[in-house]
Amino acid sequence: MTSLLFAQLGTPHRIQTPSVAWSGLLPVLVLLGGAVVLMVVGALLPRRSRHSWHLWLTLLIAAGSIGCAVPLWFRVRDHGPLSILRDAVRVDGLALFLGIVIVVGVMLAALLTDGYLRREELEGPEPYVLLMLSATGGLLMASANDLIVMFLGLEILSLAVYVLAGLHVRRLRSGEAAMKYFVLGGFSSAFFLYGIALAYGATGSTNLTDIQRFLATNTLTNNGLLLASFALLLVGFGFKVAAAPFHSWAPDVYEGSPSPVVSFMASAVKAAAFAGLIRVFVYAFALDRHDWQPIVYVVAVLTLLVGSVLAVVQTNVKRMLAYSSINHAGFVLVGVQAASDRGVRSALFYLATYTFMVAGSFGVVTIVGRRGDNRHQLDDYKGLARTEPLLAFAFLVFLLAQAGVPFTSGLWAKFYVIGAAVEARSFWLALVAMLSTVISAFLYLRIVLAMYGGADEADEAAPAVPRLRIPFAARIALVVSVVATIGFGLVPGPLTHASKTAVPKIAAGK
Amino acid sequence: MGQYLPVVAMLVLAVVFAILSFAASKLLAPRRPSAAKSSPYECGIVPSQEPPERFPVRFYLVAMIFIVFDIEIIFMYPYAVIYRDLGAFGLVEVLTFAIAVFASFVYLIANGALDWGPAKRLGRRDPQMSATRTTTSTVRRVGLEGRPAGDEEVAA
Amino acid sequence: MRDLIWMIPALPLAGFALLLAFGKRLGEPLAGWLGTATVAGSFVVTLGVFLTLRTDGGADHRLTQSLFTWVPAGSFKADLGFLVDPLSISMCLFVTGIAALIHLYSIGYMHGDPRYHVFFTYLNLFVFSMLMLVLGDNLLVTFLGWEGVGACSYFLISFWFSEEANASAGKKAFVTNRVGDWGFMCATFFTFSALGTLSYTGIIDGASALPRSTATVIALLLFVGAVGKSAQLPLYVWLPDAMAGPTPVSALFHAATMVTAGVYLMVRINPVLAASAHWLPTLIATVGAVTALFAATIALAQNDIKKVLAYSTVSQLGYMFLAVGSGAYVGAIFHMITHAFFKALLFLGAGSVIHGMGDEQDMRRMGALRKLMPITAATFIVGWLAIAGVPPFSGFFSKDEILVYAWQKSPVLWAIGFVTAILTAFYMARQVYLVFFGDARWGEPVPEAAASPAANEAQQSAAEVDDTTATDANDEAPVAAHAASDAGADGHGHEAHADVHPHESPWTMTLPLVVLAVGAIVAGALNMPFFDRLKVLEHWLAPVVEHGQAHLTVSSGLKVGLGVVTVVGALVAFALARLVYLRGRQDVAEQIEQPVFARGWYYDSSIAAFMGGPGRRLFDAVSWFDRTIIDGAVNGVATLVRGGGDRVRVLQSGYVRNYALGVAFGAIVLVGLLLSRAVF
Repeated sequence: MTSLLFAQLGTPHRIQTPSVAWSGLLPVLVLLGGAVVLMVVGALLPRRSRHSWHLWLTLLIAAGSIGCAVPLWFRVRDHGPLSILRDAVRVDGLALFLGIVIVVGVMLAALLTDGYLRREELEGPEPYVLLMLSATGGLLMASANDLIVMFLGLEILSLAVYVLAGLHVRRLRSGEAAMKYFVLGGFSSAFFLYGIALAYGATGSTNLTDIQRFLATNTLTNNGLLLASFALLLVGFGFKVAAAPFHSWAPDVYEGSPSPVVSFMASAVKAAAFAGLIRVFVYAFALDRHDWQPIVYVVAVLTLLVGSVLAVVQTNVKRMLAYSSINHAGFVLVGVQAASDRGVRSALFYLATYTFMVAGSFGVVTIVGRRGDNRHQLDDYKGLARTEPLLAFAFLVFLLAQAGVPFTSGLWAKFYVIGAAVEARSFWLALVAMLSTVISAFLYLRIVLAMYGGADEADEAAPAVPRLRIPFAARIALVVSVVATIGFGLVPGPLTHASKTAVPKIAAGK
Repeated sequence: MGQYLPVVAMLVLAVVFAILSFAASKLLAPRRPSAAKSSPYECGIVPSQEPPERFPVRFYLVAMIFIVFDIEIIFMYPYAVIYRDLGAFGLVEVLTFAIAVFASFVYLIANGALDWGPAKRLGRRDPQMSATRTTTSTVRRVGLEGRPAGDEEVAA
Repeated sequence: MRDLIWMIPALPLAGFALLLAFGKRLGEPLAGWLGTATVAGSFVVTLGVFLTLRTDGGADHRLTQSLFTWVPAGSFKADLGFLVDPLSISMCLFVTGIAALIHLYSIGYMHGDPRYHVFFTYLNLFVFSMLMLVLGDNLLVTFLGWEGVGACSYFLISFWFSEEANASAGKKAFVTNRVGDWGFMCATFFTFSALGTLSYTGIIDGASALPRSTATVIALLLFVGAVGKSAQLPLYVWLPDAMAGPTPVSALFHAATMVTAGVYLMVRINPVLAASAHWLPTLIATVGAVTALFAATIALAQNDIKKVLAYSTVSQLGYMFLAVGSGAYVGAIFHMITHAFFKALLFLGAGSVIHGMGDEQDMRRMGALRKLMPITAATFIVGWLAIAGVPPFSGFFSKDEILVYAWQKSPVLWAIGFVTAILTAFYMARQVYLVFFGDARWGEPVPEAAASPAANEAQQSAAEVDDTTATDANDEAPVAAHAASDAGADGHGHEAHADVHPHESPWTMTLPLVVLAVGAIVAGALNMPFFDRLKVLEHWLAPVVEHGQAHLTVSSGLKVGLGVVTVVGALVAFALARLVYLRGRQDVAEQIEQPVFARGWYYDSSIAAFMGGPGRRLFDAVSWFDRTIIDGAVNGVATLVRGGGDRVRVLQSGYVRNYALGVAFGAIVLVGLLLSRAVF
């Protein structure tokens, strides 16, 4: 054995080293490098500082990442997608669109984190570093053109989020959430990895382009392996997006995790996982869509119903929003299920608008949760409109947008998704989606009623609670989210146009 | 299947090495059991409560720092073998990797991962952990039994 | 200037945003000046665009600018775009011009109001919406503006919402306008399904190819919308009540701009009207003529200075619809412009009077104000002569043109228009005499319908004294009036007088009056009759109305004859009014001011009675159905969901092992489902 090793030494021959188009990876690299720099610098400087320079540096890095993504967007739009690292990474419109959505999710979550850390007397740059590292994984997933790279991205994304869930070291529930998320996440990753292995066994490659080419040129006489890999990959993705029946972790983890982190989980993590799901199923397995569509159909129906029905019986607002985010995942699945240009476009639009809604919602939850992040009962929202009219109004906007009320982005998001489902002739699915909207509208209105009604009772009880403190950074996040939610509701055109540009070509049917 | 032969050989060698180690220790080590030795293994710390208690996380930190360097070595070794073939590209890659590892090391040191002493960073103190616990008070110096009680006062 | 079209609405929008954000901090009067400046800026831009259109508008005299695709949804697409053609730019010019003047006026008028900045915020939003309505290049953008102006109108009618009447007037306007909006929306749907587009260019080009029935339905539905917005029969009821808002609002919304939106819409879609059934223009003309007469009779007997003007507005809008129905699109726009000048002038003059009298609106407690408020009085008289159609004031030319077209359509319509013109001259003369001439009756208790002969006599003598003193010593007039009323039986008049000190308004209020008065005099020059070269407006608008404009075939002699008859009628009405109201012929006045007129033909109260009686029962039935059947179904679903949720909730135990089991179970089911499709 040793002779084998030493034999190499004697004959030096050049190994072909790949040439890498680094410019295509810049958004990821900026985020990654920024995270490392912030981590080291933050560790060397005094930990508890009055200035929130962690936050501003994070925002700067994230903005830099977006700044690198925008020129790429135009380049990709005009000259077609970039294939990097021997086609392991493919930077196309889809990757950049969802990449920007993920980074925006990071920025909003970071803005919420600042005030949260101060209030809870937590410290350090770690939350920001982890947010950025997690987003790095997300960007990698969004641009992965190889199942291995996708798994890598998934793990980078997840590991950071597991830690983020346990960010609040003194809160037992936070630790519990991290533990649950970690154990179940590891469990589902195993399924995902197994799915990759089966896909490799069935097609002979982990590269998505190769897989697609293989499936286009060969007819499998025995496709059991491939179908099993569909199921297992779907388990992995379904877990990350909290689709039923793999959703069970979501309410517990959302409830226990620090609220700013939840906003990240519900926006960026979902966007990344959906990016992977769309890449693998809608594009790589495009020709087998008749095999996987029914399964996604079933999962979507279950997710929609579980998300809306179970939300109704909750009394904890954070859990309600957790279930509602399951419901929204169902909506995006409806778009994916259509497996068409229009479906993907509607899914992208949904994810982009949902990011603002959910970040805003959990922003309000963060603030109302007060010190200790514990006041999430419906009763804690009673009379909010009286004490904090602007905050209540912002929450009203987010809730109505999630319910799909006109003049909010939520309406268009739901409208496009259902339109795509109808175009794909999935009428029953569209019907279930609309029904679930009605059911979940009940839940949103319940919160609204609590905020805008019940003021008198609160008066008599007169619990002398101090005024809510709304940190400056959180204010920015809320204002941005409100403006985006209403803005895209009034003028959906630009975003629709962008999502249209982002969608790559889907391989035609056999 | 010839290509897998070294793997099989490695496997066999590992098993043989383990068996040999156990056997050697059985045969060669002198055996003088005492109460302190048969208590649960806790790096010499006096158990202040029942065994299923949380350890200071520092132990894990040390283990993790070890893993960081372990992984670095795993990458360094093959690189050292073929660094000439890889050329400048390989050098840049390994430097990047080394910087990343070094950054994490700096982070660990700066956060006091190797400061061995009482917990001092967490904002709110764990009620189960006393500030007076120090290295001298928590490590039992074997063979002190029977000495004047003054030394033991510190531990309480 | 071609690329700056977007700035026309953007400037007021920016003003709105700034006022919304910093209005409170700016305070009085900065907030008002900011609002005025943005609208004035918008006027300047409009002027620039207008000149561009004149010089290089191209063959079809159209400039378009599309900002972005506003609503893309499948095959349906609506751009946020602007269409500038002679029609829309003419509208823009007078909307921004008059709006700027009224903003300026409001700076003085709203002085001291606690919600000063809010007022200007709404006002700027209104101007923005109105410009969107006018400039929009498709029905959807117009509808956006349509609803926007409506919303601003409701806000501002109820601006002083602490009074119940004001709040309910706002509600009334809202509810009535819903009916019209329904028509507009249905028309939009029909247009899209018939033509596949909502853009005006598409509608104008495609109208001639439309089947007659479709064109009729679309035009009819749009007419329903126009009837609601422009307060025609049977939906006029909201406009008189809308006078509850501040007077500048009445002048800007409910006289000059917003209420003319319906007329604008009808002119805009004139090719569709041309393609529709022949009975539709007749219907429009009839509705217009009847409304004009109907509202004029009501105006005869109103005592509130603003109510008279409100009914007068309804009546004049009726003229415009009469013009539209008669094919006189140019006449409609011409009258709209002249009306905007003189009616805004009259409203602002009335506002100035109300302001000077310390919020007094009852004309029976005014009088003899011309000495104290010389500028207001002089400009108001200009407005009066203009609306009465006395040459050479603008109203004469525009009204005359409409009446000529009405004659060509049908002499009956002309007769109605003619009678209305006489009534208009009469009630406006009545208003002027009651407010500015005669004796000072400030603070007097309102005489009941059957005034005692004694009081009557006293009033008469007071009038005479007033007249004589006025001629020799101008400054003594109020004093003399005091003495006169003291001499009469009216004992407590003195104390009442002490509270009222009529005074002229500040320059910010009088300057707009003067400017508008000049406009009211010369606006007639836009479209002088008789000589073709003098018909500037007609040539200017020709590209827009070429499909619909009727061709005049009546002889010049007849035209002159009709004009002379109208003028003579107006002058006779003046004389009559002078006789009745200056000579104090109370008995004749009572004959004229019939209760049936004063109560608005009982139209309002019969609607109220219906809504309170059978209507109420109907609504109760609907409400019962809604509560029991619809809500019952909803509640049933809710109960079902809740129950189901409680069942399923058991699965959410909180144990990781159970969750993992769930994931594994789900995975097995998925694999099973997929493998059932497998080919082995």
